[in-house]
Amino acid sequence: MKSRLVVTPIQCTGCRTCELACAFAHSVDGKPGKSRIYPLPGGMKDLYTPVVCLQCDDPACMKSCLVDALSLNEETGAIDLNEEKCVQCQACVAACPFGCSLHDQKNANVVKCDLCGGDPVCAFFCPTKALEFKPVTPTKRKRAV
Amino acid sequence: MRVEKTSQLAKLQKTFLEKMNKHDRTVLICCGPGCLANGAQKISDEFHKVLKKKKIKGFSIEALKETGCHGFCEQGPLVIIEPDGIFYTRVKVKDVEEIIDTSIKKKEVVERLLYTDQATDKTYETYSEIPFYKLQHRVALRNIGKIRQCDIEEYIAVGGYQGMAKALTKMKPMEVIDEVTTSGLRGRGGGGFPAGRKWATCAKIDDEPRYVICNGDEGDPGAFMDRAIMEGDPHSVLEGMIIAAYAVGAQDGYIYVREEYPLAVVNIQKAIEQATELGLLGENILGTGFNLNLHVSRGGGAFVCGESSALMRSVAGEVGEPRAKYIRSVQKGVFDKPTVLNNVESYANVPVIIEKGGKWFATLGTPKSTGTKAFSLVGKVRNTGLIEVPMGTTLRQIIYDIGGGVIDNKPLKAVQTGGPSGGCLPEDKLDLSVDFDTLTKAGSMMGSGGMIVMDERTCVVDVAKYFLKFLNDESCGKCVPCREGLYQLHALAVAISEGRATEEDLDKMEKLSDNIVIGSLCGLGKSGPNPFLSTIQYFRDEYLAHIKDKKCPAGVCRELITYKVDAEKCDGCMACIAACAQKCITGKKGEPHVINQERCDKCGACYAVCNKRDAIEVA
Amino acid sequence: MVTLTVNGRVVQAQEGEMLLEVIRREGIDIPALCHHEAVEPFGACRLCMVEITKEAWDGWTNHVTSCLYPVEQDLIVSTHTPKVNELRKSVLDLQLARCPNSPEIRKLAAEYGVNETSFESKPDADNCILCGLCTRICDKMGFNAISTVGRGHGKEIAPPMHEAPPDCVGCLSCALNCPTNVIEYSDVNGKRTIWGKQFELIKCSECGKTTITREFAQALSDRKGIPIEYFEKCDHCHRKELSLTMGQVAGWSKEVQS
Repeated sequence: MKSRLVVTPIQCTGCRTCELACAFAHSVDGKPGKSRIYPLPGGMKDLYTPVVCLQCDDPACMKSCLVDALSLNEETGAIDLNEEKCVQCQACVAACPFGCSLHDQKNANVVKCDLCGGDPVCAFFCPTKALEFKPVTPTKRKRAV
Repeated sequence: MRVEKTSQLAKLQKTFLEKMNKHDRTVLICCGPGCLANGAQKISDEFHKVLKKKKIKGFSIEALKETGCHGFCEQGPLVIIEPDGIFYTRVKVKDVEEIIDTSIKKKEVVERLLYTDQATDKTYETYSEIPFYKLQHRVALRNIGKIRQCDIEEYIAVGGYQGMAKALTKMKPMEVIDEVTTSGLRGRGGGGFPAGRKWATCAKIDDEPRYVICNGDEGDPGAFMDRAIMEGDPHSVLEGMIIAAYAVGAQDGYIYVREEYPLAVVNIQKAIEQATELGLLGENILGTGFNLNLHVSRGGGAFVCGESSALMRSVAGEVGEPRAKYIRSVQKGVFDKPTVLNNVESYANVPVIIEKGGKWFATLGTPKSTGTKAFSLVGKVRNTGLIEVPMGTTLRQIIYDIGGGVIDNKPLKAVQTGGPSGGCLPEDKLDLSVDFDTLTKAGSMMGSGGMIVMDERTCVVDVAKYFLKFLNDESCGKCVPCREGLYQLHALAVAISEGRATEEDLDKMEKLSDNIVIGSLCGLGKSGPNPFLSTIQYFRDEYLAHIKDKKCPAGVCRELITYKVDAEKCDGCMACIAACAQKCITGKKGEPHVINQERCDKCGACYAVCNKRDAIEVA
Repeated sequence: MVTLTVNGRVVQAQEGEMLLEVIRREGIDIPALCHHEAVEPFGACRLCMVEITKEAWDGWTNHVTSCLYPVEQDLIVSTHTPKVNELRKSVLDLQLARCPNSPEIRKLAAEYGVNETSFESKPDADNCILCGLCTRICDKMGFNAISTVGRGHGKEIAPPMHEAPPDCVGCLSCALNCPTNVIEYSDVNGKRTIWGKQFELIKCSECGKTTITREFAQALSDRKGIPIEYFEKCDHCHRKELSLTMGQVAGWSKEVQS
């Protein structure tokens, strides 16, 4: 059974530890990089929810990439962006309906969640278990296209 | 009518041969590139016109033939009366009626049109006695000039398509490859790669479909061997390609003809139609079930498309840029499929090899360079034209025995061989044998067969400059060493020719040349510096004269020469004054003229006009 | 699996890999200006050249572009021999002659000891090194809007007829991957200009931030079937929208799996 990043919004306190961990885990030249996960207000009072790539079954990002820089990593289950193949056209940034392909302005790079290669630091550091990386049977699936 | 059996082909050969030989006399009008340029078509038209008017008993208009290049271009337009081989030179339209009255109506000879050897003053009635012809051995050019141009009946009459019939009906593909390997045939385009080995490698590749391609790009300035074959005997190329396709298992082929050869395109297309109609090309060739479709592919005017990988891209409709050949084109060639690419002359040799055997072919030439080679002999040599000699013939034999020596018996300064990528060899190297390896060891190369003879009024710096510019202009521009390196090499050569260079510049050029040779992507770049490297090897003094003394010993480089009238020799004829475009020569009739050095642009027109009296010097 | 030696180290590689991949994997840095993973290797800049040999070759060596040479069993590769360094130096010297005003070329040339070019150069030359990356990437994206034009020293990169290219969608892939930043473009007042052609930049329907050109979005939608509505918002607003959706869902169930 494959592990998946499970988000439980009701547990999220908006502490932003996940955002910090992600930025440091993807540091560039020793400086923190761009986080791929953002806790955002959920629309109700005191309700935060972490917004992160849903690693869709039928990803809009992969569809939109004209140089095949995005592909499914069979081991981790993530849609990986091959940064060396990427030509920075921003097609995936514009196409993802969830805004989870991001343009790192500082480093002139396009980035997205890669589940840290199979052990996501956001889940590791989340103090309230709003983020968990665990094996689950898929129930409700969020589809992209 | 389709030929479905070899016995049918043999019968046809007999029929066509009888048809060819039934004439008492035949008139062959050479319509090779040189003679055509000299007005051979008008001469042929005149023959037709006069003979239509004057019906001569026993002579049918069918006995009038336009042929491919007979070879002796210097003496063209040529008209030959067979079967005696009477050889008329420098024929003009107004001579036609006289030839008809003298040699066709009667069996006599028009003396003034016969060939006189300038070196020996001997006159020859027939061409076979002339040293220019006697010392040749025509294999690839065997039919050219002898049969009607682009006529399948005459081609079959002299034995054409017999080689193909033998291969397709009596031999297995591997046996065909073995025969070609035994012959030792090496690529006649200049690369010298063993054809048998190429075909064998391609045949083993596990990929389909396969292709055969004929390289008819012939981009070397001054070379016209392939042109003569494509225009004069296109069937020999088709036959060779059919045999090759059978050997490697190809069903499609392309004949790539350069844009600048429209007649070759027409004749090859005609030949394809003629052969297809007879069932000797296309579906079910000779009833054997073997299919081959040949297409003509035209170039776009780029020398670089003579390079095999660029050519294949051009055939596929892409920009003609070569690719690195770490994966050979026999494995991934045109359309990324296994491809055999050979030169026009290589294919023209194949039918003979199959017919007479590879062993026979290997008896000609030298052990490592078997067979014969066609050359275009041009420049300051008496007998310019198209020749074919066994490999191993020396430069001296070609230039002096066949070529008749340097014009005006001047000393030979250098002979340039191998086209722009080749090199210049000096007089003391004339006893080198012409083959794939000997000239390369000496710093030049045989190349595709261009041979330019130079006398003391050729400046090697100027020659190097010319070829470097040509190669840089023709470079595809993809890789830095060739595109930028040859540009800078040419710029430095210009500086030398203008007296602006230093000795350090020579060192810079040698180092840069070395890096261009190693760093370039394709053969054009890798051999690009050769015009400089070969001339600096043997003519370093001439370079130094330009650099240290600021003089051009050959009297060519404009910045370094002056034209002066020798007042003692000048007889005041005013010819130079008339010729001068700058109007910088003054003088009255009968009095010595004077050239105004400030306005003179060194064009040399005065020198050319005055040459008879020798009163103008260049220094 | 293929075993070969790189700078004395014995390494393993997959069949079909090019030498450059192996060399980079070993952490060895060699320049390769015309190389980009998105497109086929080209072999134009010649800077990635290395020396190769084999024991069976009896001392004969060859110099090849590592981007295009497939790995071979028992190959011995040297990336920084004196001859290879001299070759790179010569190439950079020539490039500097072509592009004397390019800071990137100047920097790279200085690394190989070339501070000033030893050849003739034009003071007002542009910085295009003709690596071909812009055209190759544009072709890979399927737009084929620009190409190399001409040959020899006069070769250049241009749209057809040197006019505004009809096929360009303004994705900027050419400009953003140019090693010498030669291709000019500007985004002003919601309009993008590149190659003499003007494009409309989509403005996010929520916040007004500009994203990609409408032409590029339309091409992606037409070719790949992505609903054109997806492109009407920017990524920031899309994330906000997702968080609101998830918030609503959170009100009904405990977890949402990704």
